Amino acid sequence: MKKKLFCAALLASFTAIMMTGCGQSSGADSSSTEQQSQDDTKDETASTTEGGKLVYWSMWEATEPQGQAISQAVEAFTADTGIEVDLQFKGRTGIREGLSPALDAGTAIDLFDEDIDRVNTTWSTYLMDLEELVKSSDYESTASQGLIAACREVGGGTLKSIPYQPNVFAFFYNTEIFEEAGVTKAPATWAELLDACEKIKAAGYTPITCDDAYITSMFGYHMSRLIGEPAVETIVKEGKWDDPAVKKTAEDYAELASKGYFSETIEGNVWPAGQNSELALGTAAMYLNGSWLPNEVKDIATFKWGCFSYPALEGGVDGIDAANYGAQVFAINKDSKNAESAFQLIEYITKGEYDKVLSELSVGIPSDTRNTQWPEMMESVKPVMESMKVRYPWAAGAEANADLTPIIKENFLKLCGNTMTAQEFVDAMISAGK
Amino acid sequence: MKKNKTMIVAFTAPAVLMFMIVFLYPICRTFAMSFFKIEGVTDNVSKWSFVGISNFIRLFQTKLFLTSMWNMFRIWLIGGILVMCLALLFAVIITSGIRFKSFFRAVIYMPNIVSAVALATMWLQYVYSPKFGLLKSLFTTLHMDKLAKIQYLDTTNKFWALLFAYCFGMVGYHMLIFASGIERIGAEYYEAATLDGANKVRQFYFITLPLLKGVIKTNITMWSVSSVAFFVWSQLFSTVTADTATITPMVYMYLQIFGAGNSVTERNAGLGAAIGVLLSICVVIIFWVCNLALKDDDIEF
Repeated sequence: MKKKLFCAALLASFTAIMMTGCGQSSGADSSSTEQQSQDDTKDETASTTEGGKLVYWSMWEATEPQGQAISQAVEAFTADTGIEVDLQFKGRTGIREGLSPALDAGTAIDLFDEDIDRVNTTWSTYLMDLEELVKSSDYESTASQGLIAACREVGGGTLKSIPYQPNVFAFFYNTEIFEEAGVTKAPATWAELLDACEKIKAAGYTPITCDDAYITSMFGYHMSRLIGEPAVETIVKEGKWDDPAVKKTAEDYAELASKGYFSETIEGNVWPAGQNSELALGTAAMYLNGSWLPNEVKDIATFKWGCFSYPALEGGVDGIDAANYGAQVFAINKDSKNAESAFQLIEYITKGEYDKVLSELSVGIPSDTRNTQWPEMMESVKPVMESMKVRYPWAAGAEANADLTPIIKENFLKLCGNTMTAQEFVDAMISAGK
Repeated sequence: MKKNKTMIVAFTAPAVLMFMIVFLYPICRTFAMSFFKIEGVTDNVSKWSFVGISNFIRLFQTKLFLTSMWNMFRIWLIGGILVMCLALLFAVIITSGIRFKSFFRAVIYMPNIVSAVALATMWLQYVYSPKFGLLKSLFTTLHMDKLAKIQYLDTTNKFWALLFAYCFGMVGYHMLIFASGIERIGAEYYEAATLDGANKVRQFYFITLPLLKGVIKTNITMWSVSSVAFFVWSQLFSTVTADTATITPMVYMYLQIFGAGNSVTERNAGLGAAIGVLLSICVVIIFWVCNLALKDDDIEF
């Protein structure tokens, strides 16, 4: 009998150990950085967080500039308010893969951040309506009206996210090459772009380079300038590749390729080859990319940056006031018991001193309109950002169909590499769309 | 010895239970999911909508998925032949009593202890770079201008560039398995064969190869599993957005479950589950064919 009891106890302990192994203690993530209150006198304020610590899942890595700035802000926030924050840096793929399952499993996460479209579309069911919190703190008076409007638009008419780290997708260029080549004005039309390319080529530089990761944006922008972004999405999703705009786009790009305006290696540039070894090193002049580009190559590029919106096309629907502009956004979990504290933290990061720190460290655009001083490398982005009226989604709709993106990418790379004609491009896309 | 059935059941129960929870339940759930349209991978069952076998039909009608299957097949077959032949050759050389055996074994195995991210970066930014690449410099020095001008990462050559880089790292792993198999074969067989006048090549064909059947089967199975699960290298050779030259079914599955690139695209975890089911069937078929073709139970040594 004793033996049986012993065995039963042993079994129970085995099972318990196995089960414990499967469990996860809260905040056990190795990348988590707990910001401890350093001032015991602040303990009383800390009681405002009903659920204990404020849990913040961040899309950044702790080591990148944005992560460093956010860590500083969170540390100061805890010191100021006494509210402890469990800051977990998940990284881009970590949060993309892990947030939904964690929230579905009931993990206590008070706030998180990611791209404006993913938060408001993919994770829309987890979001708290922030209208009241925004109103009571008068948040909007010092926020970018355009971005707040964009957040409301993607949030289905109500504000469910707070933008920060604004960005715009446009042509970034090396002003020194432009000056040397005698290009005095940033191109605003296609004819002006062709003229600039000719001068830059004559000066001995590569006018335009790109990488495989961003090549579809060129296609999307050109198409959207011609027929508007919604029409581009229709073509991409419904396979209407016989639209004349497709052929016109292919012909315009075939012209760029045949005149030698693209990098010789554009077809084989795997990111970040083009941006690092051509644009940043000063052998190529232009690159269509996001305003995060100067930050990514700041250790290589020494020139003064210029920025202009994708040129307008003759007879096109959209002008230079349309682009993929947006931001990363903060959102609060609709089940959070600490919404007010979470919003307080969002304000702390996106306003005043720490918005400035974030902007400086990440060479990014500030989100607080009172921070009028943009980083020097971003000065040329300011007029472009401020002129934006029409918002495109990522790649101006060219990547709206996941089944087709790699096929557009392959054929467009061939077109830019001058190994495919405009008609061959159209035929390939018609065949792929069937 | 008296068998206590209750105790056997009691002691195996935790392991069986854990097996069922950790392996059996996900397998059954994935199989069930493949017949539904499910937006989020962890969506509640009440949100699933039954679509029958249409996920499978859609997969076979999608050109990109078929391209991904074709890429996977080429990685498995061409890469498999290349890796197995080289691994076997190196294993035979290493076990033949050469000097500095441990050194060579360590050198060939080395790529396995380096992170795939670091290896892929080396291949992409150093070896294949059309500007500063090893291949470009080498061919330029040798005045082989045509070869120096090749863009190893363009849409035509990217698949081969990826395959070569991947195989380079895998040879050492399979070589170790072959080498351990060869070392198991008694030296007396080779001594007897040498006395009978058989040269090294005949010894390889008539002693080593037949006695390695079991190890060959193990290697093929492991190669097949890693080919079917081919993901990281593909992602590293086409960052942000997938491309036709490097996409594999696992990458396609990822696009369907978590969305593609930076865009917000339609998600369907049911379609992802259907891909999982198809890939499992592939592995089972390969394993079954291997078992039929390579019967090693008739040899004892």
